Amino acid sequence: MMRRYVLILLFFAVLLVPVVLRRFMVHGQSSAASGLRLVIITPDNQDIRREFARAFDRWHREKYGVGVTIDYRTPGGTNDIERQLISTYAVYRDRAGKLPEDVPADIDVLFGGGDFSFDQLKAIGLLQPMHLDPALLRTAFPSSALAGVRLYDKNLDASGAPAPRWVGACLSGFGIIYNPDLYQTLQLPPPRTWHDLTDPRLNGFIGLADPSHSGSVAAALMIVLQRAMADAEQELFTTEPRFVTMPAAQRKKDPEYQAAIPRGWKRGMRDLTLIAANARYFTDSAEIVPTDVSRGEAAAGMAIDFYAHVTEDVVGPARARFVLPPHATAITPDPVAILTGVKGERLELAMHFVEFVLSKQGQLLWALPVGAPDGPTVRALLRPPIRQDVYADRRGWESLGDPFTEAGNFNQRGEWMALFTDCRMIWVAAWIDSRDELKKAYASVLSEPDPTLRAALLEKFSDLPIEMKDVAAMSAQRAAQPPEQLDLWRARERIRWAQRFREHYRAVEERK
Amino acid sequence: MRSNRQRSSAAHVVTAVLLLLFFAVLLIWPICQVVSSGFLARGGGLTFAYVGLIFRDPVLVRGLVNAISIAVAVTAITLALSLPLAILSVRYEFRGRGVLNSLLLVPLVLPPFVGAIGMKMVLGRFGPLTQLMGAPPLGIDWIGRFRVAGIIVVEVLHLYPIMLLNLQATLANLDPALEQAAANLGASRWRVFWRITLPLLRPGLFAGCTLVLIWSFTELGTPLMFDFYTITPVQLFRQVLEVSSSPLPFALVTVMLAASALLYLAGKVALGRSSDAAVGKATTAASPQRLHGVRGLLAACALALLFALAVIPHVAVIITSLTATGQWYKSFLPAQFTFAHFGQALVDDLAFPSVMRSIEYASLATLLAVSIGLAAAIVIVRSSLRVRGLIDTLSMLPLAVPGLVLSFGYLAISVSAKRRLGMHTPRFLDVQEFPVVVLVLAYAARRLPYVVRSAVAGLEQTPRDLELAAANLGAGRFAVLRKITAPLILANLIAGALLAFSFAMLEVSDSLLLAQRSDYYPITKAILDLSQRLGDGIYIASALGVWAMVLLTLTILIANSILAKKMGAIFRV
Repeated sequence: MMRRYVLILLFFAVLLVPVVLRRFMVHGQSSAASGLRLVIITPDNQDIRREFARAFDRWHREKYGVGVTIDYRTPGGTNDIERQLISTYAVYRDRAGKLPEDVPADIDVLFGGGDFSFDQLKAIGLLQPMHLDPALLRTAFPSSALAGVRLYDKNLDASGAPAPRWVGACLSGFGIIYNPDLYQTLQLPPPRTWHDLTDPRLNGFIGLADPSHSGSVAAALMIVLQRAMADAEQELFTTEPRFVTMPAAQRKKDPEYQAAIPRGWKRGMRDLTLIAANARYFTDSAEIVPTDVSRGEAAAGMAIDFYAHVTEDVVGPARARFVLPPHATAITPDPVAILTGVKGERLELAMHFVEFVLSKQGQLLWALPVGAPDGPTVRALLRPPIRQDVYADRRGWESLGDPFTEAGNFNQRGEWMALFTDCRMIWVAAWIDSRDELKKAYASVLSEPDPTLRAALLEKFSDLPIEMKDVAAMSAQRAAQPPEQLDLWRARERIRWAQRFREHYRAVEERK
Repeated sequence: MRSNRQRSSAAHVVTAVLLLLFFAVLLIWPICQVVSSGFLARGGGLTFAYVGLIFRDPVLVRGLVNAISIAVAVTAITLALSLPLAILSVRYEFRGRGVLNSLLLVPLVLPPFVGAIGMKMVLGRFGPLTQLMGAPPLGIDWIGRFRVAGIIVVEVLHLYPIMLLNLQATLANLDPALEQAAANLGASRWRVFWRITLPLLRPGLFAGCTLVLIWSFTELGTPLMFDFYTITPVQLFRQVLEVSSSPLPFALVTVMLAASALLYLAGKVALGRSSDAAVGKATTAASPQRLHGVRGLLAACALALLFALAVIPHVAVIITSLTATGQWYKSFLPAQFTFAHFGQALVDDLAFPSVMRSIEYASLATLLAVSIGLAAAIVIVRSSLRVRGLIDTLSMLPLAVPGLVLSFGYLAISVSAKRRLGMHTPRFLDVQEFPVVVLVLAYAARRLPYVVRSAVAGLEQTPRDLELAAANLGAGRFAVLRKITAPLILANLIAGALLAFSFAMLEVSDSLLLAQRSDYYPITKAILDLSQRLGDGIYIASALGVWAMVLLTLTILIANSILAKKMGAIFRV
C-alpha cells in the first residue's frame, strides 16, 4: 500500500516538474498574451516564427503603444497551406465559385511560401489588395524586380496606385546541399550543377521532398526545367541568330522556336527523372532533407538556402555544404500577404505587420547574428533581406552574400511558370505513384553490363511518355472544370498518367 | 449469495438514457457522418464516384493492401511471440518470473511513433546497428531497404503486451481438469496443447488478435515517422487539409472502416468466441510447474531477450534526448552528451505549451471519462436493464473503432456545420479554428473503456450489502454513491483514471488530425513537428518522449498495483 502511495506521489511530481522548472528558467518573460492578436498562417520554421513574434510585438509597442501576440497556424509546407486555404474558403463560395463580400476570415496574414503559390492564391481571390504607403514601397523596392523576377505583385487600385496583393518579405535561393564526407567515400567530386545529381553512383543517396507538399522543392524542380528550357532557347539563338533580334511576340509564334522550348523541357524532365530515380525517398517535409544529408542518410539533396545554412551552422562544413548551381538558380521573393475577408481593426493590424516586415528593423532581423541590436535572440535566421538598401552595411552577416549583385542572368519566365501546377501532378504521378515500377526499371538498367546499352537504356528510361504540350493541354482542361468536379478530375488525371508511366517503366525493365 | 443486481430504478433508467445519448453523439454520429460524407457530392446529391475512385487508384489500393499486410504480419508475429511467453509465464515457475513478467509490460509506456524516432537513429545508415555490423564505408541503408520491416518490428514490440495480457488472463482462468484428463488418457503434451489448450484459449486469442490487428491496421504515427506514405492511415492524414473541399478523405475513411469490420469478422470466423461456459472457468487453479537449473535459466532468458528487444526503442529515445546536436554520426554511441535538450524543451515555444495543453486536455477528458465510466459501470453491474449489454458494448466500442475514423467523423461534423451555418458556426464546432472541445471529447471517448473496465471490476468485487444497508437507513441514491460505492471502488477508479489520463496525454491519431493550430498542439503533435525541425528538433522531441515515458511507466505501475490480475481486462474487447 505504501508503495502505491509513493508511486502516486511520484506520478504527480513528474507531471508537475516541467511547470516548476520552467518558472526558474524563464526569467522576466511575460507568458501572458499581450494586447492585440494577429493570426498568421505560415510554413516558416519555429525560429522565424519566434523571432518575428517577439520583434513585431516590440516594434508595435514602440510605434503604436500596444503589444501584439501572434497566433501562428502551421498546417505544413507551402503546398499544404495552399490546399488548406483553398479548402477553407471553398465552403463559402456560391455555385458560380464566387466569394461573398462579407466572407469571414479566420486567418489574417499569409507569411512565407513561394511567389508562385501566392500568385495562385491571388488568382482565385484569396489575397486582398494592400494599400501600403507609396513611400515605403519606393524605399523598400527601388526596383520592382530582381533579375527579371518581380519582388512584389503588380496589382494597381482604381486610381492607378500600387495595391499589391503580396510583397516580398525576404529572398530565397534554391541549391544543392551535400555531405562532403560521404561524397569523398563515394569518390565523387562535389556537385556543382543540377545534372551532377543524376549520376547513377548516387542511386539511393539523394534526399528529395514531395513536390506536392513542399513548395521549396517544387520551386527547385521548376528551376531545373526552366534552366533546360532556357538552354534550348540559347542554343537556338546561337544557331539561328535571327531570333535574337526578333520581337518576342513574333518569336513565340515561330514553329522553330515553338519546337525548341519543348525540347528543352524534355531534357529537363530527363534530368529530373534521373534525380528522382536516385532518390532515397520523397519526404513530406523539406526540412528533413538537409537533416538527413548532415547525418549521412543521403549524400545530397535539393534545399532552400536558409535550411542549408542552418544545417551547415549546426554540423559544420565537413558534413554539410551548400552550393548554388551557377546560372541555374533563381533568387525569388518569399512573400507576405493579407487574406480576403480581413477587415476593420484586424486589417489595420495586418497592415502594421506588413509595414514591420518591410521596415529596416524587420529586414535586418532576417540577417543579423544572435545578440546584435535588433537581431534575433536565440538563433540566426540566415535569410537574405529583400530591401536593397540594408546591404549597404553587412557587418556581421557578410557570409550571406548579396543577391542583388550575385543574381545571375537566369530569369524565371512567367509564361513557363504557368505549367507549374500541372507539372507537380505529373511529377507525383511519374516518380511517387509509380515508385515501385520506377525503382525496378532503374535497377534493371543499372545492372546492364554493357556500358553502351546501359547508356541507351538510361536514355530510354528517362524519356517519359509525356510532352510539354500535354501539360499545357492539361492546364487548359483544368481551367475548364467546374469547381465541384475539380478534385475528381485531378485524381482521375493523376491515375491515368501514373498508369502510363508504370507501363513505360515496365517496358524498360522488360526491354521492350 | 445475494445478487449484485437490483431492480432497476428510475435513476438507472435516466442514467442509461443519458449514456445512450452520449454514445450516440460521440460515437455513432461521427461514424454515420463520416460514412455519409463520403457519398455526398460537392454540389449535393448521392455519389459513388469517390468510393469508386479509391478502388481505381492503384496508389490507394496499394495503401490498403500495405495496411492490411502489415497488420496481419504484426498480428501473426505478435501471436507467435506472445503465446509461448504466456504459457511460460503462467504455467511455469522459475527464478525472476515475477520481475520479468512486469518488465514485459514496459513497451506500453511509449507510443510506437515516439519509439520510431529512436529506431530511426538506431537504424540510420551509419547508426549503431551498422557499427555493429562492421561499419562498411557506405553504411547500410536499413530504413531505405527494410522500411516496412522496421515498421512491423516497432509495432510488434509495442503491441505484444496487449496480446500477452489477454492470453495470460485466459490461461490463468482455464480449468486444468480438461488438460489433466486428456493427459491421463495418454495424449502427448503437444496433442493436449493443440486439441485442448488452444481451443480453450480462443477467447483470449480472439480478443488479443482483434485488438492488435485493428490497432496496427489503423496505426498512423509509426509509418509517418518512417516516411512510409503508401499506407492508408498516412494517405488519410495527408488529405486532412482538404476535408472542407473534397469528399475523398471521407470516402477513404469509409473504406477503411469497412476493411476494419471485415478484418474483425475474419478474426471472429477464424478464432470464434466461445461462451463463458465453454471456456470452463477454473474451479481450482493450476499449480505452475517449477523449472530448475538450466531449464529455469533458459525460460528466464527467453523473457529477458524479448524485454531487451522491446526496450531498444526506449533506450534509443533516451540516448537521442541526451545527444548533443548533430553529435551522433558514424559511431555506436554519440560523441557528446548533454542535458540541454530537456532544458530547451522547457523554454521552447512549441514543446512546453504542448505539455501544458496535453495536461489540460487529458485532465478534462479524464474527468468526463470517469463520470461517464462510473455511470456506465453502475448500470452494467448494478441494474437489470436490458440495455446494459448494449451500454457495455458501446463503452468498449472505441477500442475496436479506429481512432482515425472517429477523428474524421468529428471533422465531418465540423465541415457539415460550417457549410450549413457559415459565419454562425459555433466556435466549439469549428475544429480547424478551436479544436479543444472536440479533442477533449475524442480523448474521453477513446479512453472510456479503461475507466469502465476498471469500475466494473471494482463493482463486481464489491458486494451490494453495504449500499443496501445505507439505503435502508434512509440515504438517498446519490449519498450512497458518494459515501459508500465510490470509496469502495476508489482504487479501481484511480487506476482507470490514471490509465485514461496517461493514454489521453499520448493520444496520437486524434491529436495529429484534429489539432491543426500550433497553439493548441498536444504533446504528440508537437513531437511530430519537432522531429521534422532543423537542428535540435529531433532531440527536443526525444526529451519530450522521455518525460512521457516516465509518466506512463508510473501510471502502469500504479494501475498494476491496484488492478493486478484484472489489468488484462483493460485491453480486452
